[in-house]
Amino acid sequence: MRITLINQAKKYNILKNIGELSKTYGNFPDSYVKRASEQVYWKTPRAPQYQKRTVEKNNFRFTTNRPWTGQFKMQNMPNMRRKKVFIEPIQNWSFFRGDRVEVLVGKDKGKQGIINQIFQERNWVIVEGLNCHFRSVGKEKDYPGVIIRSEAPLLVTSQVKLVDPTDLLATDIEWRYTEDGERVRVSTRTGRILPIPKAHEETMDYKAKKLYLNREKDTPEDVVTEITFEPKLATFEMDIMEEMKIEENRVPKKTYWY
Amino acid sequence: MNFANLTRRFFNATHQLSRILTFNTIQRTNFVGVRSISTTPFIYNESNINEDVNKKLMEFFDDKKNWNENDVKHGRSWQLPELRIKSNTDLHKLWYILLKERNMLMTMEHEHSREWRWWASPERLDKVKDSMKNVETVVRERNRAYYELETGEDGEVPVVKQTNMLGLVEVRRKREHRIPLALNRKWRENNPGPTNERDMHRFLKLYREKNYMVHRRSKNRARNHVIRLLRRFPDLDRNILKQKYPSVNIDNLGRRDKFRGHYVFKVD
Repeated sequence: MRITLINQAKKYNILKNIGELSKTYGNFPDSYVKRASEQVYWKTPRAPQYQKRTVEKNNFRFTTNRPWTGQFKMQNMPNMRRKKVFIEPIQNWSFFRGDRVEVLVGKDKGKQGIINQIFQERNWVIVEGLNCHFRSVGKEKDYPGVIIRSEAPLLVTSQVKLVDPTDLLATDIEWRYTEDGERVRVSTRTGRILPIPKAHEETMDYKAKKLYLNREKDTPEDVVTEITFEPKLATFEMDIMEEMKIEENRVPKKTYWY
Repeated sequence: MNFANLTRRFFNATHQLSRILTFNTIQRTNFVGVRSISTTPFIYNESNINEDVNKKLMEFFDDKKNWNENDVKHGRSWQLPELRIKSNTDLHKLWYILLKERNMLMTMEHEHSREWRWWASPERLDKVKDSMKNVETVVRERNRAYYELETGEDGEVPVVKQTNMLGLVEVRRKREHRIPLALNRKWRENNPGPTNERDMHRFLKLYREKNYMVHRRSKNRARNHVIRLLRRFPDLDRNILKQKYPSVNIDNLGRRDKFRGHYVFKVD
């Protein structure tokens, strides 16, 4: 029997540091993300003489590798310490996949592009084809390697700005409510709504929810939405016993709960 | 719903299996105990076992085409609102489908780790477990509604908050016993309350001190973090900081040496 103590020390939970958008993009259950990304060094056995305690890694460096991947694990090896990164807290996240943004820094300053990837843990976005650098892969003594162009992430707090779709100029935005009670982004300059793009729905499994193909073991939609519940004055067990024609006439002996 | 077919297949498999096992034991008893009846001893042979059973035992394993895949595409777990509109019978059937799937996935996981192989899409196991948890939640909701209507109690295992031998408050689930507490000396001996008060208070004093130090350290850590944030981002919205770090008194931070720093900080 597991006893839960009321005054327990707070346990580190990596899920709290992983951004909501990263989780929705991965389309994994939280329990899997936690199990794949955490690094538990030692856990107390399940025995009455132990309190529930774990020793685990609690300082992770979040990068462009998603937390549940092997690359992330490689960059956060056990007992590896890296310099702390300070991340500016943001009240409302307002950059989504598919948004048109203007780059404010670097050699592509003033250019506009589409947001490709979002790394909420670092306040980063990657703009397609902008802010690029070149790196060679597979370079050896007698082989120059293959040169690859890859985008560097940009900070949403200071390095990019959203673009107003009506006049295609960079603008500040504000979150407001429409008369229908819908929460929308509004350009503070023109007062126009910046709609959230459809690419925002994209996950690792599908581009859009409608485009998902039913697999072999998936339940068809009409079966899922079919209503078969009928309210009845019986517990689950009573209902199943009636269904299976199981009769139980034995009277249980008196028992004591303590 | 068309779960019937799947469950029938599952029950057939178990039935076949039990028939084999009983057959085996009967043979063995005859062989050992009753000499007068001559029977041929049961020898394990491929041909002895029905091919169909072998096929059904393979349901513990995934479809063969998924064995060497890097990624098995699949849907999401069953959510609570979807399960609430299903009848008890459907939930019962779904539970066994999920249980079978979970057994299959756990077998595959074990087999892959045994052979040092990459197992594709391990999140399937989490999704099945999540679905099973949701089915259980819905069943509990229904049962609780019945018991609250009929008896005024929720019908759950009662939970008690009590002080243990160390003086710590703990929450535990009560258990069912045949004899009352007054007669159950063994249980009372195994579950003593706070007995030696002097030791208990000494322990609690140290325990509280330890908790206090943990709390103080975390508060200091938060304060130092906020100071360093403000040094890097001087225009940061103070209201966000107040929300995120409620233990830090942000208005008084400017007085601290740490906030000012010993040099001009390079803002990048």
